[in-house]
Amino acid sequence: MARVKLDDVSKSYEDVVAVNNMNLDLADGEFITLVGPSGCGKSTTLETVAGLTKPTSGTIHIGEKEVTNLPPKDRGIAMVFQNIALFPHMDVYDNISFGLRLRDFPKDEIDERVEEAAEVVELEGMLDRMPDELSGGQRQRVAIARSIVRDPDVFLMDEPLANLDAKLRVNMRTELQRLHKQLETTIIYVTHNQAEAMTMSDRIAVINGGELQQIAPPLTCYNKPSNRFVAGFIGSPSMNFTPATVREGDLQADGYSLSYDTAAVEGLASREAVEIGIRPEDIYLVENESEAAEPSTRVEVVTDVLEPMGDEIFVYLKPVEAGAEDGMGSVEEREGLLMSVDPATDITEDQTVEIVFDRARLHLFDMENGNAISHGVIQGAMMDTGPGEDEAQADD
Amino acid sequence: MEVPRPMGVERTQSAGRSSIVSRLATWTENLSEQTYALLLLAPGFLILLLFAFWPLASSFRMSFFEDVIVGPESLGGFVGLENYVSLLTDSNPFATLTFLDPAMETPILQQALILTLLFAIISVAGETLLGFAYAMLMKAEYRGQRLVRVLIIIPWAIPIVIQGMIFFLLFRPGYGLLTGPLHQLGIFSQLPLGDAFSGFVIVTVADIWKTSAFMALLILAGMESVNQDLYEVADVMGASTWQRFRYITFPLVFPALMVAMLFRTMGALRVYGIIESTGVGCSTVPSMTCLVTEFTFGSTTLYGSAAAVSVLIAITVGVFISVYLLFIRYSNQSLGLT
Amino acid sequence: MSIDAQDHDDAETLDDQDEESKNRVQAWAADWIRNPQKAYAVMGVFMGGVLLATTLFPLYWLFAVAMAPPGQTNIPLIPTEIDLYAFVDIFQQVPFARYMFNSLFYATTVTVVVIIVASLAGYAFGRLNFRGKLPLLFSLLVLSWFPPATLFLPLFRAFNQQVKMLGLFMLPAEIYGTPGAVIAPLSAFTMPLAVFILMTFYAQIPDGLEDAARVEGSTRIGALFRVIMPLSAPGVATAGILTFITVYTEFFFSFLMTGDAASEWAPIVNGVLAFQSRYTVRYDLQAAASLVAIVPVAILVVLAQDKIVSGLTQGALKE
Repeated sequence: MARVKLDDVSKSYEDVVAVNNMNLDLADGEFITLVGPSGCGKSTTLETVAGLTKPTSGTIHIGEKEVTNLPPKDRGIAMVFQNIALFPHMDVYDNISFGLRLRDFPKDEIDERVEEAAEVVELEGMLDRMPDELSGGQRQRVAIARSIVRDPDVFLMDEPLANLDAKLRVNMRTELQRLHKQLETTIIYVTHNQAEAMTMSDRIAVINGGELQQIAPPLTCYNKPSNRFVAGFIGSPSMNFTPATVREGDLQADGYSLSYDTAAVEGLASREAVEIGIRPEDIYLVENESEAAEPSTRVEVVTDVLEPMGDEIFVYLKPVEAGAEDGMGSVEEREGLLMSVDPATDITEDQTVEIVFDRARLHLFDMENGNAISHGVIQGAMMDTGPGEDEAQADD
Repeated sequence: MEVPRPMGVERTQSAGRSSIVSRLATWTENLSEQTYALLLLAPGFLILLLFAFWPLASSFRMSFFEDVIVGPESLGGFVGLENYVSLLTDSNPFATLTFLDPAMETPILQQALILTLLFAIISVAGETLLGFAYAMLMKAEYRGQRLVRVLIIIPWAIPIVIQGMIFFLLFRPGYGLLTGPLHQLGIFSQLPLGDAFSGFVIVTVADIWKTSAFMALLILAGMESVNQDLYEVADVMGASTWQRFRYITFPLVFPALMVAMLFRTMGALRVYGIIESTGVGCSTVPSMTCLVTEFTFGSTTLYGSAAAVSVLIAITVGVFISVYLLFIRYSNQSLGLT
Repeated sequence: MSIDAQDHDDAETLDDQDEESKNRVQAWAADWIRNPQKAYAVMGVFMGGVLLATTLFPLYWLFAVAMAPPGQTNIPLIPTEIDLYAFVDIFQQVPFARYMFNSLFYATTVTVVVIIVASLAGYAFGRLNFRGKLPLLFSLLVLSWFPPATLFLPLFRAFNQQVKMLGLFMLPAEIYGTPGAVIAPLSAFTMPLAVFILMTFYAQIPDGLEDAARVEGSTRIGALFRVIMPLSAPGVATAGILTFITVYTEFFFSFLMTGDAASEWAPIVNGVLAFQSRYTVRYDLQAAASLVAIVPVAILVVLAQDKIVSGLTQGALKE
């Protein structure tokens, strides 16, 4: 068990910068998830921690020791890979004990540890099977057993669930959390799946284009995204974005305006335009207006496509008389809003409805650099932040 | 897992056996990819440098020096391309081999070149046809297929000297099993091993017999890598056996066939061992490589010329390889394989 | 192509009944025209028989010669008696076992050296990126354009301490006539092909497996021998068998770089020629010795034919 610290880690290949000035500081025993779209540099970051890739610059510490130039075997880490990477020519026992045998552990201790690890991942009685005789989930368990058997200081997991089917993925998610609770080892987990990131981690690090966008507990990332990228990446379905012109006391978006508290949002008046972000679940039909903390004025829209999901309905909304004013070409531009409503709601396609936005949960972003300006636009009804960043670290 | 263990247990354990080997291996861990690659290549290229590249370079250099027939030193002064010129134009007075031209008006090198090319073309063509047939026989499924495969492969694994022995015994002057009958048919002379035409045929047949198996192996490998589903698709579409061969097997095996032919051509252009071991001998069937050995070990040593012939062989092989590679690229395009 | 087991059976039954009546022959002809598959099958069996006979006849002839009594000149196609004494005699007249041992020793040693050294090189070529990769690969290819005879003279003189190796240093001892004089040049000559085969195989092993081995505590070199090589078993086997057979069957260096006597590390070539004294040639013994010398490689082929085919299928031809 150990803390892990990355200082100004960069990795470039010829002229491509894969990771740019990454700074991460993980507390001992923390479960942290690196999340981002594919090719964002999250796996490269993990590989630099593993020692499979040497950073171009920067330093990495595991525990008190600098490991930047140590080979993987001397870093006290274990890793679970996306393609599971069991050695196909070894049986389960040999796969799990591989690392112990390399380190010349006595036979008795190897047996004992392998059995213990097999028990943790519920693989008793399968030690003499070959990897190709196992199901996908079992293989994943062997890979996990192989990594826990050595008692590593840090676990690295590179999309370990990506190749499993949906049901198994959810099961394994729970098991990993249970395992983390049981082992209390620092875990760095890489995924492009934001649902995995949200459910499992103490903190998530959102990465894009090789750069760290935000590192915070999941709910903070959700409620107070530091920029437009994080806002769009975290949460499913994605946040609605729309540009708006800033006027005295209200924001003029396409076809509607939203009033704001000048006191709540400092310096907003000095801007000409902002990008408004609102999550689908923060838009309400007018009859449910009371559920919103700070309902906005009503906006009339027409429903487009409905997607009943069972526990909720996604409703695509388009402006009234779409295209009538600005011609046909503009339909693409304002693709419309997405709203989620209760499945019991009586709603049909092509129906004119009135909606309100919850102004307490409205996000404003800079038009130029996408940085967050404000979360909520009403004084005293700002977004609740969930556990604060500092608290989260102290928790463990 | 639950048992807490002090940190660093692993390292103490591994430090216990830090032999020189494991220390070396650990040292290599921190090398850059470039250095590491060169380190891995070092042993192989050291062997190659000492026992292949250096002798090659040394021979190459020799080819520019004068032949000296008398005296303790076998190499004379630097003569530039003279060895090559004399080989390619007039008959070298010391090279007394004849084959196609008993009057010795054709330069010996031209004779050897023609002979070697003829040998390469005929033997590779024969091996390809036979190899294809063997490959089909190995590919088909029936009881005893494994045995048939083994029987087909075995000639390839037979030492050249034994291969030569077999054909010597078959064509031994007077007593060989096939000597009499073929002589009576008027195909061979009474002493087939000493006659240029018969000797050439014997060497070619012996080579085809041995190396068809290797060709068959490579073609079989090509056939096995064809996706078997294609044949089911063809069956569904009602293709005949011939059509299956013509439209699936042949085009898909073609690249493997080309590689196999390339390998064999390289071998055939350097033919030597079988000529000596059948008892036909280099004086009867002088291949290009024969010239090298004759010049090196013959009664008159012509080291400079021998080296020059080696270089010419390499050039010939290089030209053939380039032609093959161009042809493979061209035909891949026309078959739509790339 | 289409000779599957069932067709084959049909074909044989038809053959058996062939002599019974001419009408039936016509009926079969008609049947075959309607079902060309059957005709193809019969043709296939016939062609296969002819092909096999062609392959095996020379070997059979060797056997017939070995059966013939010493000194018999006109050897019949079918031996008059089965006399296996020649197979015992070869070991008594000359130390043929030692000649065979020498050849097997060369083949084994070269194979081991080449597989280890070519594995390292194949790993570098197949899995690493470095400057100079293509020129180095090309140099391996060019090497195989030259006839082995080209290498002979400089090596012969260096091995006899007549010239300096690389023009730099004299070999510390005369190695002509020792196993090294054969092993060294043959290792160099068989290495390029082994490198090409192993390179193709090693390149196909997923990066994840190597990474896993390294994270688990292996070095990069350790991962090559513990994970990459075992997983490339068909390729390693193919490269090994090709090398072994090339060396075992080799004529040039093993003949010229050694003395004639078995104790001087002479190979099978000399062993077979040893039955040829100045006055007599014992063809029966030469034939028997030849057959015995084939046995080791025949066993190798029997044991490894699947590996060779699958090795070539999976890797060697994919380049």
